[in-house]
Amino acid sequence: MNKKASVSHVFSFIALVLLSAGWAHAQCKLGVPAIKVGVQGAASGPHSDYGRQIEMGSTIAMEEINAAGGVLGCKVEIRFMDDENKAATGVRNARLLVTDWGAHFLAGTDSSGVAMAIGPVLAELKRIQFFTHAATHRLTEELVASKGIQEIVRVSVPVYQDAIIAALIFKDRKDIKRWATIGADYEYGYVSWNLFKETLKKFRPDVEFVAEAWAPFLTLDFAPHISAVMAQKPDAIFATPWAGEAVQLLRQALIQGVFDRTQAWWQAMGGSVDVLEGIAPEVQKDRFRGKLWATARYIHNWPDTPENKAFIERFRKRWNRFPNYSAETTYSAFFIMKAAVEKAGSLDTAKVIGAMKGMQIRNPGGVRVFRTEDHQFVYNVPAGRPMVDPKFPIPVLGDLKIFPAKDYYRHPPFTPVSVAK
Amino acid sequence: MIENVAFQGLVGLSLAMYLWLISAGLTIIFGVLRIVNFAHGSLFMVGAYLAYTFYGQMGLPFALAIILSLLGTGVLGFVMERGFLKRLYNVDEAYQLLLTFGFILILDDAVKIIWGGVFKIPPMPDFLDGAWPVFDRAFPVYNVFVIAVGLLVAVLLWAVFEKTWWGRIARATAADREMASAIGINVPRVFSAVFVAGAMLAALGGAIGTPVRVAAPGIGSAMIIQAFIITVIGGLGNLKGAFVSSLIVGVLSAYGTLFFPVFELFFIFVIMAVVLLVRPQGLFSR
Repeated sequence: MNKKASVSHVFSFIALVLLSAGWAHAQCKLGVPAIKVGVQGAASGPHSDYGRQIEMGSTIAMEEINAAGGVLGCKVEIRFMDDENKAATGVRNARLLVTDWGAHFLAGTDSSGVAMAIGPVLAELKRIQFFTHAATHRLTEELVASKGIQEIVRVSVPVYQDAIIAALIFKDRKDIKRWATIGADYEYGYVSWNLFKETLKKFRPDVEFVAEAWAPFLTLDFAPHISAVMAQKPDAIFATPWAGEAVQLLRQALIQGVFDRTQAWWQAMGGSVDVLEGIAPEVQKDRFRGKLWATARYIHNWPDTPENKAFIERFRKRWNRFPNYSAETTYSAFFIMKAAVEKAGSLDTAKVIGAMKGMQIRNPGGVRVFRTEDHQFVYNVPAGRPMVDPKFPIPVLGDLKIFPAKDYYRHPPFTPVSVAK
Repeated sequence: MIENVAFQGLVGLSLAMYLWLISAGLTIIFGVLRIVNFAHGSLFMVGAYLAYTFYGQMGLPFALAIILSLLGTGVLGFVMERGFLKRLYNVDEAYQLLLTFGFILILDDAVKIIWGGVFKIPPMPDFLDGAWPVFDRAFPVYNVFVIAVGLLVAVLLWAVFEKTWWGRIARATAADREMASAIGINVPRVFSAVFVAGAMLAALGGAIGTPVRVAAPGIGSAMIIQAFIITVIGGLGNLKGAFVSSLIVGVLSAYGTLFFPVFELFFIFVIMAVVLLVRPQGLFSR
């Protein structure tokens, strides 16, 4: 090849690249080079699997959306940041993602504390965040329904799941009269316990709440908490530490013989993939003796629909893991964003929110319905008991108890729930 | 009632032993090298991760995995002392703080790169899985094991420091490094040995807990604050003080969880504040 030809090759290549870039740009009907979604989660520490799962869920959603032609012809881009489970880091990331990187939307956030700090900042940044894990009811009940911050949208089920479903299951267990909690020592733990007590009391005035012990983030040893509540001889334990801390807590409870001395243990987010993987040896040996109950914000073995099965299959192929709920909720948030932007034909916050009104969308986790008053997507998630299923390499939740979402979600107008311990 | 109090005391004792192992290393390093090693918690974390690798991933026997993790962390301690800290013995203390703080950041990120951000909890070793009946309740064999290791280390450290030639050298260096040097003690070598021993103590605290606790980024920072409080209460550089104040903090925080669940977290700080007001030099320092 002579020199001239090679130069002309280079030029035609550059021209082609420029042309295709211009073409892609022209294809995007929103007039932006790409729709940028800033994603955050806790990606370090004992809770880091949730942030990782948020990252995996958002990445696979982006890849699928782009492979199918993007949103109104626009490519989706993501940037993931670790919020270290700290409110200050979360707020700093949110500002950086919007003002520096130019995010059009935000998504993710694991901790309630981080979510409550980011919420008010969103109004100032004029960006919608799809919250996909943080569970405090106040995010939607207070910040949206009462304070009117439009930019908050929650795709994952809040503490209603942790607390109200538990009360609905255990109201019929006449053998359980004495409840104790080993709680997460922050808002999520207090609210779950208070809401559980309030709901259960309505059905069962005879139950007593006999002991509580609170454990902050990064608790390494739950032994004193377990022995403190066991001193009151409870019939059942309501536990809210999650992720790696749930695995530690359950293992430490086993060696203190808690499952020989109580009738039931409710592990709020025990249906989460990292917890099920962590307690798999104990589940296989039936060490919990069928007394362990758990839920999550999505469970990989439910619903039994083609959408969910296909999602699991794609996810496992891409990441060699099962999707945790924070992966499903974040994945679904991207498709909610896509549907809303396509309907709005715009990236304008008010128009996108407007487009979500009345939205019903089929996701791997089931049908989600947007609730206008508090920007909460309403969908069903069951609770059940961790058990082995030959169809799955990790434990699943079996003996599923399914309650219609409209029966167990709280409804506007909201009555306040105590957020104190 | 009395049974519950006694049982909680035993649980507190096992908590105290983890605290003792980490604060023992911190306090001997301060006592001899006069270095406040912020990165001591990170050595605890590295010990936990190495134990996870040797025991949980490679399937070695738990006891061997612990020994290997001590050796591995000892090597890391040696590199830290010889390669970095050694250069800062004669400059302002602020530089030592900066350097050891830098090690926290480096080691936290290093474990994320090597082991990933996800927490690691290996399965229980069979011989530690179970419970002994104590006051009509079940006291875990695991916690008995932790108490036994902690007490054994206390006896060993006491014997080494009080009864051996090495202990006398270390104490002489702690008392007056110039005089020690003048009478022919190889002070830099003593410093290295003490730092490595301290690092191994931290690693032991991390390693023995892996099957019931967790190896995760950040656990070092969670422990270091408590370890500092303990060394302050016991008197900086004072080994007996570290042991007694570990017992005080471990047992009282267990009782805090039992009797004052709502205020439990403040307990340890209240103890420290009271000690600082009454005996600012610590309980056991002269």
